[in-house]
Amino acid sequence: MRFFHLPPQIFRLVLLIFAIVVSYLVARTLLTPDSFRKYGFYRGAALAEHIANHQPVFAGKIACGQRHPDVLEILTKDSHKSLSCEACHGVVSQEHLKNPDSKMIKPTAKVCLRCHEASPSRPVTFKQIVVNDHYSDDCIECHFPHEPNKYHE
Amino acid sequence: MLATIGGVFAGLMALPAAQVLKKRFRKTPAPSGYDPSQHKWLMCLDVDKCIGCGLCADACKTENHVPEASHFFRTWIERYIIKKPAAGSGTARGEVLVDSPNGGRGGFPPTLVPRAEILKSFFVPKLCNLCEASPCTQVCPVGATFDTPDGAVLVDPTYCIGCGFCIQACPYGCRFLSPVTKTAEKCTLCYHRITRGLLPACVEICPTHARVFGDLKNPLENDPLQAFVEKNKVHTLKPHLGTNPRVLYANLDKEVR
Repeated sequence: MRFFHLPPQIFRLVLLIFAIVVSYLVARTLLTPDSFRKYGFYRGAALAEHIANHQPVFAGKIACGQRHPDVLEILTKDSHKSLSCEACHGVVSQEHLKNPDSKMIKPTAKVCLRCHEASPSRPVTFKQIVVNDHYSDDCIECHFPHEPNKYHE
Repeated sequence: MLATIGGVFAGLMALPAAQVLKKRFRKTPAPSGYDPSQHKWLMCLDVDKCIGCGLCADACKTENHVPEASHFFRTWIERYIIKKPAAGSGTARGEVLVDSPNGGRGGFPPTLVPRAEILKSFFVPKLCNLCEASPCTQVCPVGATFDTPDGAVLVDPTYCIGCGFCIQACPYGCRFLSPVTKTAEKCTLCYHRITRGLLPACVEICPTHARVFGDLKNPLENDPLQAFVEKNKVHTLKPHLGTNPRVLYANLDKEVR
């Protein structure tokens, strides 16, 4: 004698709910990526994929200094010490890395004026010039770009 | 008999399914020697040092292959011009004008406001504010954007469906929908560079060190980030929104938003 008798429609309902729960659990196990919840509620492998899929473009000042320590030494002595090589010379191209004789961009006065043209928005302590009032519009006629406080005779 | 047929059928179905799943969720090894839980990166900005040259916005586009059009930026510069108040108005500050032509790339053209009318003017570099309670990750319906343990906020392009919720949610306007990948894109703190021991492209290129970058868990000797936090009085953007931005600004004016 059974303790209680389940009506067949209730039994079918329980079976259906059980099937739904099981299929949900199976689907979740199959569809959840391995690295999910490794760091949080997301796919942890996305971090490594991001790093692997992107390559640095800018070489950086340290890399330039390894091949050109003489230039970097001069640069660090004067007020342009905070400048990165690639700020004026452009990105170190693959061509330059393969063949060091291929020249980088030689900056023009436009590059100097990008920072040093007078503007009311620039900090007052920053050196600025009004081009029309200045002696020449060719900066390197007088200034050494790597040692801006030194002048040609 | 029925069970055998069912078993064979299930087996046949499972075979391609397993292959599809394997392809979709391919395993990639973590970068050797880089553990995200051992770092906490942060970028801080000094408004008084920014000269508005636009090299950072330029470098970011080059480094991250951001689409060329003038409304796609991961970092950009804004020029604030605060005019003198009208005589007798009884206010300390006048009208505030903000512009960012082409995100400040290639510098700013001279302003049309006469110098005599300008009370104060300055440049503000902008980027992802690396919020602790980031609204963009909260609204993502597919879990494609997330806060990494080392402080960056990234987008998983294989999961992003390009719905644009995060773009609307970001109160700092730091996201855009890429026309190339059709997914949301944003400042990644140059995640591919910092994990390789390099500086983010904008920090590398900044000629005045207006951008300071460092690792809070592994400070260097004479760490620029520690010095920045010690020396300056800092503030964050839109603190009233409760997003708890981690990016700190030094010498920020009240008009900046």
